[in-house]
Amino acid sequence: MGYCEDIAERVIGGRAKEVVALVEQALSEGEKPEDLLTKGLMAGMNVIGEKFKLNEVFVPEVLVAARAMNRGMQVLKPALAKAGAEPLGKAVICTVKGDMHDIGKNLVKMMIEGRGIECIDLGTDVDAEAVVDAVKESGAQIVCLSALLTTTMNAQKDVIDALIAAGIRDKVRVMVGGAPVTQEFANEIGADYYTLDAASAAEVAEKALKEMNGK
Amino acid sequence: MTNRERTYNILHFKAADRMPAVHFGYWPELLAEWAEQGYISGTILDGYCDGGPKDNELDRIIGWDYNWQHVFCGNNGLYPPFERKVIKEFPDGSRAVQNGNGIIEKIHPGVISIPSEYDYLMKDREAFETLFKPKMALNIEKRVDFDFFRRFNSDIYEKTDVPLGIHLGSVMGSIRDMTSVMGMSYLMYDDDEELFGDVVDAYADMQYEVAKAVLETGAKFDYAHFWEDICFNGGPLLSPKLFEGLCAKHYKRRTELCHRHGIDIISLDCDGVVEKLLPVWVENGVNVMFPIEVGTWGDQFEKARKRFGNAVLGVGGMDKTVLRRDRKAVDGELERMKRLAALGGFIPCPDHRLMPGTKFELVVYYCEEIKKIGL
Repeated sequence: MGYCEDIAERVIGGRAKEVVALVEQALSEGEKPEDLLTKGLMAGMNVIGEKFKLNEVFVPEVLVAARAMNRGMQVLKPALAKAGAEPLGKAVICTVKGDMHDIGKNLVKMMIEGRGIECIDLGTDVDAEAVVDAVKESGAQIVCLSALLTTTMNAQKDVIDALIAAGIRDKVRVMVGGAPVTQEFANEIGADYYTLDAASAAEVAEKALKEMNGK
Repeated sequence: MTNRERTYNILHFKAADRMPAVHFGYWPELLAEWAEQGYISGTILDGYCDGGPKDNELDRIIGWDYNWQHVFCGNNGLYPPFERKVIKEFPDGSRAVQNGNGIIEKIHPGVISIPSEYDYLMKDREAFETLFKPKMALNIEKRVDFDFFRRFNSDIYEKTDVPLGIHLGSVMGSIRDMTSVMGMSYLMYDDDEELFGDVVDAYADMQYEVAKAVLETGAKFDYAHFWEDICFNGGPLLSPKLFEGLCAKHYKRRTELCHRHGIDIISLDCDGVVEKLLPVWVENGVNVMFPIEVGTWGDQFEKARKRFGNAVLGVGGMDKTVLRRDRKAVDGELERMKRLAALGGFIPCPDHRLMPGTKFELVVYYCEEIKKIGL
């Protein structure tokens, strides 16, 4: 088994220490950092994403896999920068104003990062204006908005309205999710995408970025 | 019939004179709204708790018969709890606060929502052994007010006509409350493979002994009640197989204890999509699903009844969101409740706490109408 397959397998198993050791070893032996990222870390995370979607693994397995991927990524980052590797794109993600829940948002973030997309995580209870500022500063093309409460889901619309008011709505694709959110609600507030789970959100974000950038 | 008798009969597939109007409390913001709208006195807000005097007073005003969560128990949590203290203050005014369970929560000023989990103390075996395990020790004299429970029948049970429950605690939900979802996940897959099981066992053993001590005082209860909240809209927060391996024996031990004390109605409060965990509960003696969150997660009770037959009972399943809309929406939900009630072994109850925006007059109307369901 090559390094990439080995790394992917350890990511799937959530073995963070082993992932770090393997990435270090692979780099020292001259393996390409892009390959270690796409065929190793990201490949492992994508397997976990698929399994999560099919209910074959659950939140803990996703979290430990994401931790393993992130630890590996920390080792890989300097080598990727040196090689001039670029992320697929950028996404701004947050839980909207008035809502402190972050498990769903964190799962989406982990899955999106597993697709090679850089995530700007604004945290929870985030103002619409803060999202607009983050999009302007980062040039992100994806905005992911999470809400767990029926009382806070309307704040997703506030963000969309703020993007329109700032004149940048057509520069981004807005994805919404969270327990009370439905496709009908997403249509109603003018979001571009609604997805049922974190793995599907990552898939959609990747597809949207590729479409937007003609890849 | 008393509420106690009709509840017992419905949950044992026997005849009852009518359906009781049962609820599961309110978000405090709703009570504040109702007080502002002049429906209730502001004093009800102070010291409101499930099954407490203010709750009972509100039942009489609105027309409810009782709150399902009318439960008693010893102290089956961490004892003493961790000191609540501010760990860090942030420039935006939010604060990281250590709570009684050893979780560091980030609290934003003015935000009414469950605080986000920022960090947690139970990171490894050393933290478990030194910080948590001593707080899980039995220490029974401090955990159980024996005088209270010895007088329970004459002072409380015989003076009320509503079903009263013993709270059996939680096998997994409380562990999640001590570790956060993230910490729970990391501990489950720690290099020390025995660690997570040891945490679950230590806490469960203490909770069993507390319940046993309460029951041995001779205090009477109509039902027993677990709390879990270990599912979300995608299903369980951990694999059903792992859940079974860690928890099944503890449910069985506690439900068998209840059976020995003549309690055969054992409910479990779990939000979210519970379908995948149901077999573990049903096979280990839990028989009442509660609160069956239909409004948010879809209709689960009929599916469960088809799957497990009359081994599954239900309290809940009423889409509380119709109480924010209009009479027509309430009527539609009442029709659905009639259909579920006809299955037997089912008592409608709003599928979680009533939330802000709920219309007082619609709740009164619902209470009047639900009592008309013949059985």
